[in-house]
Order: sequence, then C-alpha cells, then structure tokens
Amino acid sequence: MRKFCVYGKGGIGKSTMVSNIAVALAENSQRVMVVGCDPKADSTRNIIGKRIPTILDAFREKGPGRMKLEEIVFVGFNGVYCAESGGPEPGIGCAGRGVITAAEMLARLGAFDDLDLDVLIYDVLGDVVCGGFAMPLRNGLVDDVYIVTTCDSMSIYAANNICRGIRRFAVRGEVLLGGIIYNGRSVVDEPSIIDGFAGRLGSQVVGRMPMNDLIPRSEIHHKTVIEYAPDSNIAETFKKIGKAIVENRKKAVPEPLSDEELNEINREVEDLFREKTLARQSA
Amino acid sequence: MDGGRFFGAFRACSGITDAVVLNHVPVGCNWGVGMFNNISSQPDIRHACTVVHEREIVFGGEEALKRALRLADKTYDAPLLVVISGDVPSIIGDDVQSVIDSLSLKKDVLWLEAAGYKGSMRNGYEDALLKLGSLMKECNVKKRSVNLIGLCPDDFKVHADLKEIKRIIEALGIGVNSTISMCSLEEFCAAPAAELNVVMGQGAKLAKYMKNEFGVPYIEVDYPYGLEGSMKFTEALCGNLGVEYGGEKYLDLEPFERTYLYLHEMYGTSVSVTGDFRCNPMADFLERELGFEIEVKSCFEEDRSSFEENVRNSNTMMLFGSSFERGLARELQIPLMRFVYPVFDQVCMCDYAPYAGFRGAAYLTESIINSVMGFDGKSRNNFSYQEMMSQ
Repeated sequence: MRKFCVYGKGGIGKSTMVSNIAVALAENSQRVMVVGCDPKADSTRNIIGKRIPTILDAFREKGPGRMKLEEIVFVGFNGVYCAESGGPEPGIGCAGRGVITAAEMLARLGAFDDLDLDVLIYDVLGDVVCGGFAMPLRNGLVDDVYIVTTCDSMSIYAANNICRGIRRFAVRGEVLLGGIIYNGRSVVDEPSIIDGFAGRLGSQVVGRMPMNDLIPRSEIHHKTVIEYAPDSNIAETFKKIGKAIVENRKKAVPEPLSDEELNEINREVEDLFREKTLARQSA
Repeated sequence: MDGGRFFGAFRACSGITDAVVLNHVPVGCNWGVGMFNNISSQPDIRHACTVVHEREIVFGGEEALKRALRLADKTYDAPLLVVISGDVPSIIGDDVQSVIDSLSLKKDVLWLEAAGYKGSMRNGYEDALLKLGSLMKECNVKKRSVNLIGLCPDDFKVHADLKEIKRIIEALGIGVNSTISMCSLEEFCAAPAAELNVVMGQGAKLAKYMKNEFGVPYIEVDYPYGLEGSMKFTEALCGNLGVEYGGEKYLDLEPFERTYLYLHEMYGTSVSVTGDFRCNPMADFLERELGFEIEVKSCFEEDRSSFEENVRNSNTMMLFGSSFERGLARELQIPLMRFVYPVFDQVCMCDYAPYAGFRGAAYLTESIINSVMGFDGKSRNNFSYQEMMSQ
C-alpha cells in the first residue's frame, strides 16, 4: 500500500489537492482511501458531495467498543473510501489527541487491512502544531509527506515549519519529505520561487497546479474537478500530480531554511510583486 | 516518593474530614490517592472522580465534570465539595470555574488546579491549604490554644501520633483548637481562634497567610520523634505561649531500661533514612538517642534519584522509609521500618501505639528492636541479625 500525507498552511488547497488526487488515482482501479485529519471535517466533502459523520462523533456517541467501520468510512466518487477524524468544538478539548484517537479507531476496526487499499492519503490541517497533528508522521503510518504551498511568504514560512516537524521524524527514519506541490493560486504566481525553495530544502517540486476557475466552480457544487470537468486540462494536471506522487522515489530528509534564507525568498517575491504592479500600471 | 502536586492537594483537601473531594482526573490518579488514603481508613469514601477517559481528553472534560458535580451534590451529605483538577484537564484547558458557575448546587464548591507536573507534593499541599484558607473566618481568640498544621489523614501512625501529641499539649494546659489537615470544615474555618499556629513540617504558607490575615503567629517545629525531639517540641510550644516548661516530667526511661542489652547490641548500627519532613527528625532520633550511624539520608524535597544507589554502595543494615523502599530492602536483605507516607503494605489500627511523642519513642524503639529480632536470614554481608541480638 502506498501511504502518504499532505500538509500545508490553512486554506492553501490541501483538501482540494487530496480529493482530486484520490479520485484521479481511483480511476485506474486503485482502491484509495482519504483520511481527513482536521476538526473542521471538510477534507472529503468534494468526494462524497457532502460532509460525512466523523470518527470522533461515533466515538463520542457510541464509545470505542460499539463503533462499526461502516459508520465511519464512506464511499465517494470513483469508489474512494473517505473518513474524517473530526474533533471537539473550537476552544475545548484536545484536537491533536482527537487525531490520534481517530487513527487508532480506524486501525482497530480494520480499515487499513480489511479494505485492501492500494493508496492511503492523510489530509492534515494547517501545521504540525502538536504531537497529535504529527501523528501521521510517526510509527510508519505513511511513507512520505507532501507540502502544498503558494508563493506567499506565510505559506512558505508554514511549509518550512512543517519541514522542521518532518525532519524530527525523518532523521529517525520514520518518514521522509516526498516533495512540494506548488499551487499557483496567489498574487504572485512564479513557480521558480518554489523550485528554489524546494531545492534549498533538499527536495523537489512534484507537481504544479495553476490557478484555474474550474477549481472554485467545482467546489461550489461540492465536487472534485475530476468529476465536475473530467475532460479539462486542470483535471489532467491533478492526474499527473497523483501519478507523480505514487511513483515518486526521490525522498529526502528536509533541511529547513533559516529565517535569513526565508527572508531572501521573501525579497525575491517582493521584487516580483513590484514588477507585476509596475507592468499592470504601465498597461 | 513524591506523588506530585495533585497528591499534595488531595491530602490537604481530604483533611477536611466532612468535605467531599471530587477529583477531576483519570481513574488511575483517583485510585492512587484513594488507595494510600484508604489503607487504614477503609470506611472513608468521601472522594469521587469524574473518571476522565479518552473521550474527555478529546472533547474536553466539562460535561463529565458537570455530571459528577451534580451526582456528588446529590449523593453526599457534606458541607463542602472540593474539586481538584489534575493533569489532563489542565493540559486540555477545561474551564472548571465556568462549569461550577453554570450549576446551581446545594453544597458550597471550591476548586483548585493541581496538575501533578506543576510541582511537588509539598507544593500541592501548601497551595491547596492556602486556597482552603479563604474559607477561614475571623474568630475570638481562645487563650492558650494552638492549631497543629501539617498532619494528613493518610500519614502512617497519624491517629496514634496525634493522640499522643494532644496528650502532651493538653497536659501542659494548652488546648488544640484545630488540627490541619485532620479536622471538620467548621473546625478549619474556626482555626483563626488559636493563639498560635504550630507548623509541623508543612503548611507554612497557610500559617503565613493566617498571620497576615488574622494575626495568628506561628512557629515551625520538627516532628516530635524520640524523647529529645518531644522535649524540644514541648519547649517550643511552652516558650511561645508563656507556659511553664515541664517536659522532663513526661520522661519515662523504664521501657528503655528493660531492653537495655538489645539497645546496647544495636548501638552503632548503620542505617539509611528517607522520607518527607519527618526524615530529619527521625534521623536525629536514631543517631542521637539510639546511637545509630546514619549512612544515607534523603528527604523527598531533595534529589532522591541517587538515594537507592547510595544505599547500595553503603554499609546500610536497616532502612527507614515508606512502602516504596520495600524493594530495596528486599534486594539488600535488610529490615525496613516504615514510618512515612505512603505506607500501603501495613495498617494502623491502634491509636495507642504512636511513633511520635514521649510514648512514641518507646513504641518506635520497640518496633525497631522487634523488626531486627524477627528478621530471618542473613544480609548481603552474611550478617545475621538474630546472632547480633543473641550475643
């Protein structure tokens, strides 16, 4: 089974990427499962068409002894299995522990064994904020990690910070950085910035997603692009990214950048931003 | 063995003998503090638990706390509910105060945060007493009365010790106003009526608070082990209350004379001592009155990590400590005298066999001689205790 997880700054497009990649991979008769690790529980909404009951909802209502796999794993478009960890209400409890509990419940109920999966994808919220959200990085739960980022400085900063978390487990041989997925949905859309960032990390860019209005339009209908516009170029791009990840052999222990190195990238972004503004004004 | 801040808070709060303690913790923590408390006080079931489980860790323990508060309010006939919030609720940030505020309970509720990782058992005890101190009220001063501060209901021999200490004090014409932490809520609230606070090893923060708030002066004394220790204790009380000192009249050397030969044989025995604030006064008794050699001494407040290793590397022939030292004593094949919390493998049924005070000196010495005489086999140095005593 190919197992990987996707991290990235909040709102950067992780769930969009994961749901489209999952559906794309499932087109080739692969048995794919997506586990959303975010208390908002909206990672799989575009695969199913609506939000699904979460693992922790069932855990709370029934307790660990009476939960059933079919109550927490749902089948979406192209037969993709979907589960959402869920979590507590904002401001109480411990969402990080919730992610760990949800993963334990899935394993206990045989989700990873009984479903005979080919591909397992974890979609993890914004940042490695605590041990709970680092759970997929530990104990061999996944082979490698992919980080979604735009050219925005805060997005790159978050990606770099996630690499610090990955490195902690990578040096112990538990997980590796598979690469960066570039999302062009930003004021400055310059893939070379992220090429440089990935290079400095000792990694690579495994895919580039240009800005395209088909993505928000499909999401308005709670669908993946693969389902909403299957013949579009953007659907093809998602398929290529999915294939690149599954076949990826180039994995690395990331070398997170220093603050000064991040500032250098920020200055490059600022220069590009200035050029773009000037060009717009002269036009 | 330091159980951390939670254990200290529990010991302070369960010392209000008619209050109910509601532990907002996982069941294991509740069992731990309860077990040490209930070994020799089995009918004492005045503590409840929210039983924090994984569900509460993920979703917060506030609902569980609400349920437990309602149930405790309904179940127990008690004037006060004390909620102690332990490690897990502190980590996940349960808003205990808002839960209490949201309920209309018949009983008064006081809560305190006591995550075990936030400090030592001693600190937990001190801070919990301070929090309970807010319940105290201004009272008319009772002349020649004292509060005894620092005794806990789960201390080994505490009932017998307290009885003996009270006997000594009352014979001097001094009354015991409140014994903290072994008194009812009413007695606790009326503690400011005492003329003097006597801090016996712990509880100094409360004593300072009472001095500032109610003008009750305080003294800090050692736990009264041995004849000398008991005389020093008596002297300190008399000196501070202007009572004529008459400690010598309690001295009864006859029991010691009856076992003179055994005491002579045991003179110079190498021993090691570990414990809470009782450690130093016990070591003083053993060294100065029985003539033992102290090999290793370790108080809970100090670094205990090397205690076991130091004992192994010493000539220790007898160990003084808690039930936690049982393993070490077995390993070294030496007798263990339990005298300090926690003791969970022996019971104290009789309140006329103290270790503290003048009478306690004789009982303590008797127990030491008996544990040596009754110790079968030979130690790691091929030393026979029975041969020693039969010479």
